[in-house]
Amino acid sequence: MPGSWAASIRRGTLVRATVIAALLLVVLLAVPAVTSVYWLKVSTSVAIYSLAALGAGLLYGRVGMVSLCQIALLGVGGWVMLRLGYATSLPFPILLIAAGVITGCIGTLIGLPALRLSGLYLALITLMAAAAITLVFSKHDFPNGGPGFWGAEGIGGTNVQRRPSIAESDTAYFRYTVIAATILFLLALLHVSSKPGRAWAAIRESEPAALAAGVNVTVYKLWAFALASFMTGVAGGLLAGSVGVLANSGFPTSDSLTLLAVTLMGGIYSLWGAVIAGILFKLLPALLQDWGLSSDIATILFGVGVLQVLVTAPAGLAAQVPKDLANLGRLIGRLFRRDVRGQPT
Amino acid sequence: MRSHKRSAALALATCSIVGVLLDALASGAASAPAPVGTGKASKTKSVCGLGNGKRATGRPIVLGGIFTKSPGIDFSPIGLMADAYFKCVNANGGINGRPIRYIIETEQDQPDRVAALPVKLADRDKVVAIVGNTSNTDCIVNQRFYERRGFRVIGAGVAAPCFTTPNFAMVNMGPHYSNTGAAQALVRAGAKSIVDYASNVPGANPYYGSGAITVGKRAGLPTSDNYVDVPIQDANSLVLKMVQQAGNGGGIDIALIPPEGLKVLTAAGAAGVIDRVKWSGATPFNSQFIADALGPEWNNKFLVNAEFNLLDSKGPDNQLYLQLQKAYQANCPACLGSFGQMGFLVGKIVTYTLLAMPVNRITQKSVNAAFLRIKNFKSDLWCKPWYYGNLPSHNANRWDRTVTFVNKKIVQVEGCFEIAAVDAPIVRAKADEKRLKLTSGTSWPPVPGQ
Amino acid sequence: MPSLEFSKLFVVTGLALGGVYALSGVGIVVLYRATGVLNLAFGAIGALGAFISWELVNNTGVPDWIAYLACVAVATAVTFTYGVIFGPLLAARDPLVKAIGTLGLALILLGTMSWKWGQIAGLSLPLPTTTRSYTLPNGFGVVNWTQIIGISFGIAVTAGTAVFLRATKLGTAMRALADDREITATLGVPVRRVEAVAWLGSGLMCGISGLLLSNLLGLDIVTLTFFVISALAAALIARLRSLWITLAAAMVIGLVTALLTPFSGDFQTLSDFRTMTPFVLAIVALLWLGRHRTVTVTRTAR
Repeated sequence: MPGSWAASIRRGTLVRATVIAALLLVVLLAVPAVTSVYWLKVSTSVAIYSLAALGAGLLYGRVGMVSLCQIALLGVGGWVMLRLGYATSLPFPILLIAAGVITGCIGTLIGLPALRLSGLYLALITLMAAAAITLVFSKHDFPNGGPGFWGAEGIGGTNVQRRPSIAESDTAYFRYTVIAATILFLLALLHVSSKPGRAWAAIRESEPAALAAGVNVTVYKLWAFALASFMTGVAGGLLAGSVGVLANSGFPTSDSLTLLAVTLMGGIYSLWGAVIAGILFKLLPALLQDWGLSSDIATILFGVGVLQVLVTAPAGLAAQVPKDLANLGRLIGRLFRRDVRGQPT
Repeated sequence: MRSHKRSAALALATCSIVGVLLDALASGAASAPAPVGTGKASKTKSVCGLGNGKRATGRPIVLGGIFTKSPGIDFSPIGLMADAYFKCVNANGGINGRPIRYIIETEQDQPDRVAALPVKLADRDKVVAIVGNTSNTDCIVNQRFYERRGFRVIGAGVAAPCFTTPNFAMVNMGPHYSNTGAAQALVRAGAKSIVDYASNVPGANPYYGSGAITVGKRAGLPTSDNYVDVPIQDANSLVLKMVQQAGNGGGIDIALIPPEGLKVLTAAGAAGVIDRVKWSGATPFNSQFIADALGPEWNNKFLVNAEFNLLDSKGPDNQLYLQLQKAYQANCPACLGSFGQMGFLVGKIVTYTLLAMPVNRITQKSVNAAFLRIKNFKSDLWCKPWYYGNLPSHNANRWDRTVTFVNKKIVQVEGCFEIAAVDAPIVRAKADEKRLKLTSGTSWPPVPGQ
Repeated sequence: MPSLEFSKLFVVTGLALGGVYALSGVGIVVLYRATGVLNLAFGAIGALGAFISWELVNNTGVPDWIAYLACVAVATAVTFTYGVIFGPLLAARDPLVKAIGTLGLALILLGTMSWKWGQIAGLSLPLPTTTRSYTLPNGFGVVNWTQIIGISFGIAVTAGTAVFLRATKLGTAMRALADDREITATLGVPVRRVEAVAWLGSGLMCGISGLLLSNLLGLDIVTLTFFVISALAAALIARLRSLWITLAAAMVIGLVTALLTPFSGDFQTLSDFRTMTPFVLAIVALLWLGRHRTVTVTRTAR
C-alpha cells in the first residue's frame, strides 16, 4: 500500500536523522570531555580529512571519476585561507567560504580539460596536476604575514592563522570544525538525494545513455568537481586554523594516493565512508604510534585494504560492517530459534 | 568463490600484520649496555651524572623531545644519543636516585602532527621539560605553545625562530650560522665568489644561505643564493650549473644534508670538476659517514664547518660520547658524527641541571626556571662555554672550527674562530655575554671534576 | 641566456636523465600493452629489490653479483606473484580499477620498506659501472657507465618488446589479452600462461630498472617509489600505447629538464621550475591529443 510505504520511508528517515543527531551531540560533548588536548587535535584532523575524503568519495562513488589531486587542493584551500587571513580582517566563516570557492574554481579548471578523458587518463592527469601544484608550493612557502602575492616572509615568520573569535580554544575549535563538517556533509547529502545526484547516477551507469536521456553531462561533471573541490578547500581552511602554520611538506603527492586508498576502504557509496576514511587516515597512525608501533603498519594495512576492497567488498567498510553485523545477528538468531517441530529454522 | 577470495585476503592481511608485529617486538629488544660512564670525574675523565654505577630505581623523571624523521631528513640520531646519555645516567645513580624516562617523538613535517606533539608530551606524558628538539618546523609551529606553557626548549636548531625567539636555546648554531662559518673558511681560502646551495625545505629560503651571502658581500665577492628540491634527482646537471655559477676559483657552499650533498660531491667527482672551484659545507658533513664515502680525489678539498670538536679528539666528553655510542647506539651509524655530539650535549646539560635541583621539587615550572640559570657550562666538544639566560634570543654556540677529509679521516684545518657578526642575534649575543658574564665566572650547574 | 658551449654539457645529462624516465616509462607501458594493467607499483618493486641487494651487500658476506641477481629475482617474484593472484581476480574490471590494485601493492611495499629500512638515512648501492666514467669528445662532458647502460637498456627493451609484441605468436596473444581477456580465452589462447609470461617479463624489467635507478636517482624509498609519477608523464604522452613514443617522450622530458637547468638571472624561474617539465608536458600533450570530444564507454561492470 503506497500510503503505509511512504509513511514507513518517512519514519525510516526520521529515525536515521535522530540517530545521526544523537551521534553528533555525543561527539560534540563527550569527545572533548574524555580526551586530552592531543587526541582532540587528532580528532580535529580526522574531521578535516573526512571532508577531503568526502570530496574524493563523492567524485568516485557517485560520478565514477577518480581525482588524485585532492590533497593538493587541500593545500590550496589552506593557502588561500592563510593569504586572505593575513591580508584582510574578514570574519572566519567568510574566509572559509572564500577558500572553498577559490579552491572550487581551481578544481573546476583542472576538471575542465579532464572532461574529455576517461577513467584512467582522468586519474593520471589529476595526479600530474597534483605534482605540479605541490612543486609550486615548494618554491613559494605558505603565507605567514609577509609581503607580496605569495605573502611568505622567509626569516623568522612567527605569525599564526587566527581562529574565529567564538572558537579560540582547542575544544571550541574542535566543535566548530565538526559543525562545519556536518554542514558540508548535509550539503553533500542534499546534492545526492536530489537532481544532481540522479544525474550523476545516470552518468556513472552509462554516459551515452545519460546524454541520450537529455542529461547535460558536461555541466553535471563540472558541478561534481566544483563541489568536491569546494569541500576540500573549506577543509584546507579549517586545517590552517587548526594548525596555525602550514608547510608544503604537509601536502605531499603521495598523500593523495593514500587518500584514495582510505576512501575506498571506508566506502565510496556511502557518506559514512568518508568519516571512516578520515579515521583511518589520521587516527590510526596516531594510535599506532601511541602504542609504540610504527605507523608504517598503517601504510601496509591501507595497501591490503585497497586490494581487499577491490576484490571482495567494493562498497567498503561503511557497507561491509553493518552487513557483517547483520549477518552475525541473523546467525545468533538462528541458533536460538526453533520451528514448531523443534527443528532449527 | 567469494569466500575464497575473502579468506585469501584476510590471510594475507593477518600474515603481514603478525609478521610486522613479531619483527617489531624482536627489534625492540635492545643490546645489553656495557658499564660506561662510571667512576670519579676529573679533568681527563667524564662520567654520566653521578657516575656511581648504581641503578636508579626511584620515581621517573619524564622528558620528551620532537625530531623530524622523514625521507631524506632524519634528525632522530640526536634524540637517540641524548637517550643513550640518559640511559647511562640511569645506570649510574640517576638523578639522585630517580631515573630519567625520555620520550622520543618523530614527525614528518606534517604541520598538524608537529603542532599536536608538544601537547601530547605536556598533557598526556606530563614531561617536566621538552629537550633535544631537532625539527624543521617545531620552532616555527610550536613557538606560541612553548611561550604560553613556559617550556624552555634546549635542542639542536634548524629554522630561524630557534635562534631568534626567547624560548629556544640550541647546542648548535644552525644551518644559517654554520654556512656563515663555511663561507668565512672559503673566503680565507681565497675563493673568488660565494655560491650557496641549500635544501628547499620549509623555512629555508632565504634563511639558510643569507649569512654566507653576507660574508661574501662584505668581502666584495659576487654571490648567489640557491635552493634546490630534495631529494635531488639530477645531481649531474646541478653540479655543472653550480660550477658555472661559481666560476673558476670560485667558492661553492653546500647547505644540504649529507646524503643529498654526497650526491652532489659524487657527481662533481664523476664530472671531473672538483679542482675548478673551492668547496665547503656546513656541520652535518662533519661525520664519519661522509669521510668514508669520499675518495682520495677529495683530500683537503672539502672544507667543513664543524660546530663541535673532532670525532677522534681526546677530550673527556668526546671520549665518553664515543663510548656511549658504542655501548647504546652501535646500530646507528649516523649517531657517529656531529648529530650524535649534539645529542650528547643535550643529555649532559639536562642531567647536571636536574642534579643541581632538590630531588623532590623537580616540576615543569622549577626545571624550566632552572634552565634559565645555566651559565659558563663547559664541554670539550664546544669551543666556548654554553649558557641559557633570560634573553630575547640564544646563540651560545658561535665559535667554530674548520675540518677537512684526508684519506677517510677527519682532520682539523682551522681552530676555533668566531662566526662573523652577520646579523642582530649574533651582535646581541656578543654584547649579552659580556654584560651578564655568561661565559666566565662560576659555572651553573656545577659539573664534578671541572 | 646560457652559452651554447655550456649548454652542450646539459645535453648529455639530459639524455642520461631521459634514460631514467625511459626505464620506468617503457616498463610501465610494456606491462600495460601486455596485460592491461598500469603498474603503479613499478618503482616500489624495483626499490624493494634494490634494498634487498643493499642488505645482502652490506650485512652479509654474499658476493656483490649475487646481490644484484637477488634484486632482479625478488622483483620478478613479487611482480609474478601479484600478477598471478590479482591479475585474474581483477581481469574483468576496467583499467582504472586494475591500476588501483597495483596502488595497493605499492602501499604494502612502501610500508614494508619504510619499516625495515626507513630508520637509516643515506644508503647507497654503488654499482661498479657508476664509478667508471667516459669523457665524451667535442666538449660534451662526462658520462658514467651506469648512465650509458640505462639509456641502452631503455632502447633495447623498447626495440625488443616492440618486435616481440608484433612479430611473435606469444606477443600477439599478449596484445589480444590486453584488449579483451574473455574473447581471447574463447579463442583457445592459454590465457593464464600468457599472462604469467607477461608478468614475469615485467618483473625482470622492474628488477633491472630498480638496480639502475638506485644508482641514477639514489637509494631512497620515497624517491624510487614515487618516481613513477614523473615517469608516467612519458607514458601518458604516448597514450599508454606506443613504446617508441614513450621512449622519445622520456628523452624529450629529460633533455628539456636538463637544458633548463643553467638558466639564471632573469630566467631563474625557468630553472627553478624545471622539475615541473614532465607534468606540464603530459598535461599539454593529453589536452592536445584529446581535443576531439570523446564519450567514455565502460565495457564491463565496475
